[in-house]
Amino acid sequence: MNARGAIAGLALIPFLLAGCSREARQLASDQPQTAPSGPADPRTARYAANFYQVSQGGRYFTWYGCGDCHGRLARGAANLANGSRHAVEALYTAIAAGQSGAHSDYAARVPAEQIWQMAAYLHDLSRHEPARNRRNALDQQGEPQGNRWQGPLQ
Amino acid sequence: MSPDERERLHAVWADRPGLLGFLGTVDHKRIAARYIVTVVGLLFLSGMLAIDMRLQLSQPDMRRMGPQQYNEAFALHGSTMLFLISVPVMEAMALWLVPLMLGARNMAFPRLAAFSYWLYLGGVLMLWLPHALGITPDLGWFEYPPLSGPAYSPGHRADIWAQMITFTEVAALAASVNVVATILKMRPPGMTLARMPFFLWAMLVASLMTIFALPAIMLATSMLIADRLVSTQFFAPAAGGDVLLFQHMFWFFGHPEVYIIFVPAVGFVSSIVETFSRRTLFGHVPMVLSILAIGVLAFGLWVHHMFAVGLPRLGNDFYTAASMAIALPAGLQMFCWIATMWSGRPRFATPLLWVIGFIATFVIGGLSGVMTASAPLDLQLTDTYFVVAHLHYVLIGGALFPLFGAFCYWYPKATGRMMSERWGVVAFILIVGGFNLGFFPMHVLGLEGMPRRIYTYGPDMGWGTLNLVATIGSAIAMLGGIVLTGNALISLWRGKPAGADPWGAPTLEWAARSPPPQHNFEEVPVVTSIAPLWRHGDLPVMTGLATDRREVLVTSVIDAVPQYRHHSVGPSLWPFVAALATSGMFVASIFTPWAVVWGAIPIGVALVLWFWPRRPRSATGPLARR
Ligand code: HEM
Ligand SMILES: [Cu+2]
Repeated sequence: MNARGAIAGLALIPFLLAGCSREARQLASDQPQTAPSGPADPRTARYAANFYQVSQGGRYFTWYGCGDCHGRLARGAANLANGSRHAVEALYTAIAAGQSGAHSDYAARVPAEQIWQMAAYLHDLSRHEPARNRRNALDQQGEPQGNRWQGPLQ
Repeated sequence: MSPDERERLHAVWADRPGLLGFLGTVDHKRIAARYIVTVVGLLFLSGMLAIDMRLQLSQPDMRRMGPQQYNEAFALHGSTMLFLISVPVMEAMALWLVPLMLGARNMAFPRLAAFSYWLYLGGVLMLWLPHALGITPDLGWFEYPPLSGPAYSPGHRADIWAQMITFTEVAALAASVNVVATILKMRPPGMTLARMPFFLWAMLVASLMTIFALPAIMLATSMLIADRLVSTQFFAPAAGGDVLLFQHMFWFFGHPEVYIIFVPAVGFVSSIVETFSRRTLFGHVPMVLSILAIGVLAFGLWVHHMFAVGLPRLGNDFYTAASMAIALPAGLQMFCWIATMWSGRPRFATPLLWVIGFIATFVIGGLSGVMTASAPLDLQLTDTYFVVAHLHYVLIGGALFPLFGAFCYWYPKATGRMMSERWGVVAFILIVGGFNLGFFPMHVLGLEGMPRRIYTYGPDMGWGTLNLVATIGSAIAMLGGIVLTGNALISLWRGKPAGADPWGAPTLEWAARSPPPQHNFEEVPVVTSIAPLWRHGDLPVMTGLATDRREVLVTSVIDAVPQYRHHSVGPSLWPFVAALATSGMFVASIFTPWAVVWGAIPIGVALVLWFWPRRPRSATGPLARR
């Protein structure tokens, strides 16, 4: 019985470790300065599905006012809500250069790390509950909201 | 008592051998010892974290830790020290000592005590297992929203912290209820409230405070988890919630908490002072009144932790005045102890040395407390190293030093051996000296403006030298801690045999054998004075408790008149299983709200089986025939 318990415990470890990389939180050091080099870019794994990076991506999505055209849940223009169908590096390119020239200069205006984070966010978005998205937006109401920002909460 | 009966008594109270006996025991001494061993292990881990942080700060621009690691280090250190060490260790001391001091055979609710430990252990694992996997709460020992809310703390770090609180607080409530019931209903005949030793008053007050304070924080952290898990809006101002609500509820618990830690320490100090001054406590009645006053006043001060958040000025004034007021009963106690020692014939053995270390250190902590309690000054000092210095002076000086004293004082009772006095003095000097060397400079650093919770600082700030001194002091104190633990371990084998009452102490626990047998006392002692062992060479006893089943005596609340013989429950695995089921529910409920629903089922089953009636009547009486 104990042996079975041990095996069950061992079987849990990969899940736990996967959980850990989702929880990892890298600050400041080694921020990416460059776009993904391709599907095999090792940085992809560090961004995709990482709680912190995804959350930061959501934040910048609001700050830069992406929702103005794409909708808060990204169901508007170009329907991004199913980002998980796209690879992170494809999303990166789409944000940095735009598909139809709507934001062809973003690569020059937005730091690479933040584009990485927004790409991770869009990749993850289809898995978010709308209620949670709304709740986050409530907490973030005092933060920049693209062109519509009214200043900090009173 | 005939040898025959004595043997039967032994057999009735004995634990089963082996794993089942280990998991099922309801012996309050074994349970308390588990608590204490766990606490010592955690003190070591959390102390290593502290040393790690001190190394990082010993010089400007150190790079051995990054900001994230530092955040995790102080969050883990602070949370462990307060929630997993300071509060539980005081409960553990109560679990161990209260029945012995009452001449009783066990706690009022033996299985609840076992449940309390297992749940506490769950809380320890809740915080430290994820840490081993690299998921550590990183927001300090109080995690305010919105920083800890869903938008700023993605992932489960904040949930782990919040749920660790739920674990430890349920455990603490279980222990406190037990202590209160035991003190009020299981005193030996003759031990009226007026003849109750001061230590028991302290434990009674601390336990009542726990019962009133802890629900506030459990509610706060549960609301935080709800905000994070099911998107409630308790702490979302944009939707009509209020972030300050969390701070109020946290500190409504948080300030009493420091007294929940300190009041038992007052009890230790009083016991030690009494024994080693060889006279009863000077001013017993004022002491009791002052501890009751502290118990009440402590609930009216919490806002002094929130002076900087911008509450109305009048409120700040009120809480400044209230905070100063609590210095009066605390000061009165100091004078009573000093008067006891002055008018007695003090013998400076290690426990009393710790008391003196406590008085000196705690007075400094109290003075810096009066400073930070003053709202205008606090605006300058808050979130600087001044506060770090203050909180360590009161927590280490005010709670750990008395605890070390208590440890040295009751060690012979618990183990039957004396600790080495020589090494005891060495540890005392290293710890008290190292501590003061390590933490006094932090007052100055704080006044110079060094903020708390920073992972490094530039060379041009000029804080390098004092920080280096602080690190050296901490290392010396840590060394002293190792000497103290080493002394305790080695004395287990090498110590001189202690005998029942090595210090010539007055209270009932010293009438039991050292170490006490599982049933503590053969007969129930009868008490005629506040210092029973000083009054009688040979303690009068009451006979009549059964020797062939577990029985304890229940007495009236005020006059301790015997009321009835109560059947005390025996070992059981169900508290362990119930704690396991509760832990499963707690852990799962940071991932899905449905855990609360489905998790309630195993808990319910475990509790039903735990409380399954075993009275003889239920098998033979009218109920059985049906
Ligand atoms: C030699 C022993 C100890 C050393 C060297 C030490 C050192 C430290 C250090 C370096 C910090 C971080 C300060 C900052 O950056 O803000 C800290 C914080 C703290 N310590 Fe200790 N500590 C010790 C023992 C204790 C004990 C025994 C307790 C409680 C019983 C305690 C409670 C705390 C608390 C509550 C915090 C605040 C954590 C936070 O900011 O959230 N410490 N300590
Ligand atoms: Cu306070």
